[in-house]
Amino acid sequence: MPIRYFMAIFACCGVFTATSVQASLKLPETVKVDPAALEFEPMCDPKIPASWRKAQVIEGVQIEASEHCSPDNPHLIAAVVKGTNNISMNTLMETGLSPDTVIKTDDIDGDGDPDRITIKLEVIELNGRTPDFEGLVPQFEIAPGITPGAWVFAPKTSGMSTENFESLRANYLLRLPSPVIRVEVGDIVRIVVENTHYFPHTIHLHGVDHPFSHHEYNGGKYGNDGVPQTSELDLMPGQSRVYEFQARQPGTMFYHCHVQTHTHLAMGLAGMIVVEENRPNNWLQTLNIGGGKVRHPSVAVKEHYDQEYDLQYHAMDKELSQIIQKYNDPRLIAREMNRRYDLTDATEDYYTLNGLSFPYTLRESMIIAEPDQKIKLRMLNSGGEFIAVHTHGHKATITHYDGVEQNPAARITRDVFDMAPAQRLDLLLNTTNDGLHNYGEGAWLFHDHREKGITTDGMSEGGSMSMITYKSYLDEIGMPVVAHGIDLSIYFTKEYYQRRLPIWQHLDEAGTLGAPGVRSGFNPETKTSMINLIGGFIVGLLIYLLITRRQNASAAMASVAAKIKGLKGGKANG
Amino acid sequence: MVKYLFIALIGLSVTGATALAQNSTDHSNHDKDHSGHSAHDHANHDHASDDHSHDHSEHDTDHSGHDHDHDDHSSMDHGHDHPMDAPGEHGMLHHDHDHTDHHAHGEHHHHGDGHIMDHEGTHIMGQNFDKLPSSCSSISEDIEITVRAGRKYAKKFPGTAFAFDQQEWRVKPCSRITWHFVNEDKVRHQFMMHGLPRYLYHLGMFHLENTGPRTVTGTMIVPAADETYLVHCDIAQHMEKGMKAQLVVGKGGENLPSIPGLTPYVLNDVYEAEDLPKVSDKANTGGKNAKPIMQQITDFFNDNVPISGLALTGLLLGFICAPLFARMIALRKKESSNA
Ligand SMILES: [Cu+2]
Ligand SMILES: [Cu+2]
Repeated sequence: MPIRYFMAIFACCGVFTATSVQASLKLPETVKVDPAALEFEPMCDPKIPASWRKAQVIEGVQIEASEHCSPDNPHLIAAVVKGTNNISMNTLMETGLSPDTVIKTDDIDGDGDPDRITIKLEVIELNGRTPDFEGLVPQFEIAPGITPGAWVFAPKTSGMSTENFESLRANYLLRLPSPVIRVEVGDIVRIVVENTHYFPHTIHLHGVDHPFSHHEYNGGKYGNDGVPQTSELDLMPGQSRVYEFQARQPGTMFYHCHVQTHTHLAMGLAGMIVVEENRPNNWLQTLNIGGGKVRHPSVAVKEHYDQEYDLQYHAMDKELSQIIQKYNDPRLIAREMNRRYDLTDATEDYYTLNGLSFPYTLRESMIIAEPDQKIKLRMLNSGGEFIAVHTHGHKATITHYDGVEQNPAARITRDVFDMAPAQRLDLLLNTTNDGLHNYGEGAWLFHDHREKGITTDGMSEGGSMSMITYKSYLDEIGMPVVAHGIDLSIYFTKEYYQRRLPIWQHLDEAGTLGAPGVRSGFNPETKTSMINLIGGFIVGLLIYLLITRRQNASAAMASVAAKIKGLKGGKANG
Repeated sequence: MVKYLFIALIGLSVTGATALAQNSTDHSNHDKDHSGHSAHDHANHDHASDDHSHDHSEHDTDHSGHDHDHDDHSSMDHGHDHPMDAPGEHGMLHHDHDHTDHHAHGEHHHHGDGHIMDHEGTHIMGQNFDKLPSSCSSISEDIEITVRAGRKYAKKFPGTAFAFDQQEWRVKPCSRITWHFVNEDKVRHQFMMHGLPRYLYHLGMFHLENTGPRTVTGTMIVPAADETYLVHCDIAQHMEKGMKAQLVVGKGGENLPSIPGLTPYVLNDVYEAEDLPKVSDKANTGGKNAKPIMQQITDFFNDNVPISGLALTGLLLGFICAPLFARMIALRKKESSNA
């Protein structure tokens, strides 16, 4: 009797093997992702009024045009140039700043500009955890769908931390990087840190001429260097502290938190601080929120340059930034960051220019040039590694290292600018088409030439890459006009950075470089598991037969053995 | 063996107690503060310790080349008392535009209507002295509540960083409440209430904000319906790290989650014992094997020892259940033999 079953099973196996052999002759089809399946963000944030881009005068403050698709709020510029104490409430209300964010008073030297400058900064967490739902608050994307947990010094704001109660997106003043601060030589500057965060922080004024301690707050308790091992205790949550200085030397400098610096700096508590040369009537743009184009440059800069840009290069580690997204209890966050996170085993994953990665860098950190211009670039590397910024189409001249002017006769003109961590370079970008300084107009890339610097968590194109775009290569929304057929909109999708989009599929008529589908039939692994399954099934059957038909098992076995022998014999004979 | 059983028992009871603690309501917080804070109580104005950014000499600068004619200096008048404590006195306060104006302000308009802000950034938003909610025929009672905000109130709630002094207030429907919001930190805090009727409160919000250690007073009227309203500080991570409370009107509605000491979190952190140095470790030369009970419980749940406490529990369960299994098998046998 059992021989019929066995025959059936063997037949089954035969059919299965035949099908799989036939299937393996044809490889899977190319699967093309339908663009309709993607969520395209507008390349330019539609919420920003076009009127913000024009040159204009607000509160008597001259504001240069900014052709960028995300220009700075001109009211904000007016407010920080005049001081939030010297503007109308209407203008202030357009900014979202607190009335005491930038206080400007006392023209001590009688040269027409205020010399007492008070700047209030809060410490804000971006993309943090909430115990109420799965999600991050307040949200700040550095690239489509990329939301690393971060901390920033932010100008003291007023009202909500999000756009509104329904939105999770951060108020536009709460963003990476920490704001660029601009003061003048001789100003009596008071930077007030109001620690709104749940961890201790300080400010260290790297490179700025500042006293180690100051009389008012010294008394052995509050110093001025921001270092919890030398000058002062950590500034605790809910407390405020004044950092005071009167700089005697100008230059592009750096400020950052000095508490647990190995994590706090990378988390984003790092920004550029510029001490401008003293000039009469020098009303400065005290804060440049988000860096980029300075729309109200100082008198000294305007003497020599047509435009000025602040460019802060930064890098963040995904694992570090995720700690504040995994835990809510500050004690657990402290444990993970201070005692478990090992920076010596860490790698940087997100590379940003002015707090954003490509393609968002195109929205606000492009250098928009015209021929025969002199453009001042102030660059800071606040990342943890050397970077090597390369300018396509241009060779620029280094005028200052770490804020100190280089002897003009010894200046170097080159096209790769290496910057150690914390280092600053001031560049003169000359757009004269002479084959040396510039090779003509275009939409020229400028990027960190360590190739990981143009990735976002390893996915290219991303990172701190941006462009030097000539006005003749700029479209009406402020995006670069690139060569025919190039579609930058693909980078404005979350799916691209989720690595779900085959990057050459749209180039590829023949479909040779798209994503392969799955093979019809069985692949080798499935085959192996099928064989195992069938083998197991047979053994199971045997055992079943053995148990249920114990009485005639021996007889059956004998008969099976005989039949198999017979078969074999038959085969051998055949 | 008996020792381990004992520990297991303690462990269980501790877990139970913790769960209870999570859910218990702190009713001591419910009595309202009528401590007679007059609207002009400036005792909390800690200006001496504040920075000196307001040394009100600002207008002596030479403004040549700058057009000041359009500036509204009156709105920034530094020479007066702190008007935020005198809500009726609108003369020197900025009164924002009417509802109709609101949308003309663009997307970055964070300031709603009925919005008052002084030169220090103190806000009163959604103030309502006399507009009755449609569900109320009259004001049921006039009450004053003082709310204190500060880091020090987080002390009694482990795992938080900021808090209000109370986490819940209970009022009658149609009460008119005058809130005195006292900020005891040197940073900004807010008292922001959501979910109010939008025909009376812009965006359904009543909001008080102090940019530093000051007091602000605002008045509002609650509707008649039994409802529970969210009260929080919206500065990034302040609510998440403890600055959250609820206003219960009448019988109230559903409790809100993650109010310190009052309601459980929706998402919970996972805690584990750490091997932190202790004095007892260092002084443990007495040889009395006197580990503290918590340490023994920790050891009990530690999986990285040859025979963990849990393994022993399993063994024990095995011993208890073995006779049962034996009985079941015997029964089966009996049945099959009967068949
Ligand atoms: Cu810090
Ligand atoms: Cu707060």
